[in-house]
Amino acid sequence: MPIHEISGCIGCEACVKSCPTDVIQMDKQRNKAYIAYPEDCQICHLCRLNCPVSAITITPEKSIPVMVAWR
Amino acid sequence: MSGDTGISRRRFIGAAAGGLAGIAALSALDLNAAPVKNQPKIDADSFSSDSQETDVLVIGGGMAGLFAAVKAHDAGARVLLVSKGRLGSSGLTPFAKGIFSYDPDTADMSIDEFVAGVSESSLGTSNPVFTRQLAEHSKARVEELKAWGFFDSAIYNNSFMRPIEERGIALQERIMITHLLKEQGRVVGASGFSMDENKIIHYRAKTVVLCTGSGGFKSNGFPLCDVTHDGTVMAYKIGAKVTGKEWNDGHPASAENSGSCYDNWHGQVEEKPGITSVEIHHDLGVDMNYTAYVQGPGGSMGGPGSGPPGGAPGEGAGAGGPPPAQVEQVSGGPFVPEAFRRNGPPSMPPKEEGLLAGLFGDKRPDGPPGMQGNMVGGSTAGMAIHKSEGLVPVDETGLSTVPGLYAAGDALGSYMSGGIYTQVGSSLAGSAVQGAIAGEAAAKASLQLELPDVPEAKLAAVEEEILAPLKRERGYSPAWVTQVLQGVMFPNFVLYIKKERLMQAALAYVEELRDHHVPMLLADDRHKLRLAHETENMIITAEMKMRASIMRKESRCSHYRLDYPEVDDENWRAWINIRQDENGQMQLEKQPFDSWPV
Repeated sequence: MPIHEISGCIGCEACVKSCPTDVIQMDKQRNKAYIAYPEDCQICHLCRLNCPVSAITITPEKSIPVMVAWR
Repeated sequence: MSGDTGISRRRFIGAAAGGLAGIAALSALDLNAAPVKNQPKIDADSFSSDSQETDVLVIGGGMAGLFAAVKAHDAGARVLLVSKGRLGSSGLTPFAKGIFSYDPDTADMSIDEFVAGVSESSLGTSNPVFTRQLAEHSKARVEELKAWGFFDSAIYNNSFMRPIEERGIALQERIMITHLLKEQGRVVGASGFSMDENKIIHYRAKTVVLCTGSGGFKSNGFPLCDVTHDGTVMAYKIGAKVTGKEWNDGHPASAENSGSCYDNWHGQVEEKPGITSVEIHHDLGVDMNYTAYVQGPGGSMGGPGSGPPGGAPGEGAGAGGPPPAQVEQVSGGPFVPEAFRRNGPPSMPPKEEGLLAGLFGDKRPDGPPGMQGNMVGGSTAGMAIHKSEGLVPVDETGLSTVPGLYAAGDALGSYMSGGIYTQVGSSLAGSAVQGAIAGEAAAKASLQLELPDVPEAKLAAVEEEILAPLKRERGYSPAWVTQVLQGVMFPNFVLYIKKERLMQAALAYVEELRDHHVPMLLADDRHKLRLAHETENMIITAEMKMRASIMRKESRCSHYRLDYPEVDDENWRAWINIRQDENGQMQLEKQPFDSWPV
């Protein structure tokens, strides 16, 4: 997993806005950010650095989709 | 039989031969169902359409876009800045930590000497007009950044917002622009869609400044996955000439966690930026690829012209990691001018100074990707040398071959440094300098113009193209098509160690993707819609890269051909420009060094 967990989110959307690859989305009903597209995370840590409450955990491994004949 | 079920007789017999289990498995398949039938999570028909107008439209929220917007505003124009991501938090800008400033009072060479030195290192590929412009204007831009607080934080959004808010410049973030609009031979605006709501926005503008950066093929280990040559391809489609596609950035990645940008850059993103001064290099990257090609991968980073990746074997190996393999001197490979041969890796960004230095003592960056421990091949595949690829300028303002359309930064093929890295920190400075100049020029030009009309029919056609991936029922996922493209373009022997036969083979793959897969790209939400458009842009760029690389039958700077290994000054003191002809075909032409397009 690249971006691994968002725990303790206060719903400020800083991570959603600062992610260059649109990995994080807002759950509008719960007013919390969630990891929507981990496969597109480039592991740049901008979300973590922009989070005011240090809610984001990131691991350095990239998740790569398996290669198939078509998809 | 095959006509009814889509399964061939041979395959059916083969499956049946597997016995009862095979038959049972087959009958469980609904062979009429598309394997990837698109089931959109959002309704394409629910997209609203909004129309906005401005004098100068700036596209892109990095360093070039910031200065383009600020200087266009200061020149008296109404400005709208639109960005795919957040201001100062998208593209390569947030990761660039060194900015070049030429200070005539302290520099140990004159501007004339600097321009000549860059030209010598770049084997003539640099455009002296833009090199000089960098030197002349960099200090003023750096001083402005200082005043905005740029050097006080590792995160650039706050300092970038300051001049935007002070001036009341309109800013729209998380909008992906997909189309430039052209009427009666001029650019008249752009169209795109919101990442946050089902909305298409048409921007009418008197002039447009593209600050969209360059791109790669969503390569791993370099923070390039959101820059996909969007601006270049949009401009190409309305007739702009594009250049620089044969050059290659050659940054390696670390063998361990090679997909992690943060780890590859050793946490450098957490550092505040610093200022670099005159230091002319010839930093290749392609030389490492050559060494790996002839003797196999494995080794640590070295300076260009030092033969194999230099430095003592084992030096800099990550804690607990295996030491780099012993590398031997190899002959041949890319030519490095005598004066620029050296040992050791390229310069690191400046050290943290002042009170905060202690806080970051353990996290001091060890330099760009792959500068430590075992390396793996090109982490930037698909990207050319900064400032060498993009729109062809017709003058020093960054005006393109399409009237009203300007470009700056990595979206402009200014050849500020040529087809090679010559000055650490010049890329960020060049974006600031070029953005400011293009913004001011675009503003002045806009003051003479009326706001153009765009026919409704054209806007409707654009909307159809934007939403097409959502409306298709069957087709290919952008992630898979991108993965196939990466499989074709990433290998060392395609982009870095070039040979006619393999490039023709790669081009055939790319043409297949262009003709058969681009028209069938799928999206089921706005994120995938963005990926679909990005994928198309990368495929068109791949075609440009292959055609330009095949055309340049010599080796020079970061373009290395195994079948034409020598510099050919007789035939190739020229840049390659690419344009789309009236039949939609890609055409390539030479433009002699030190000239403007005719």
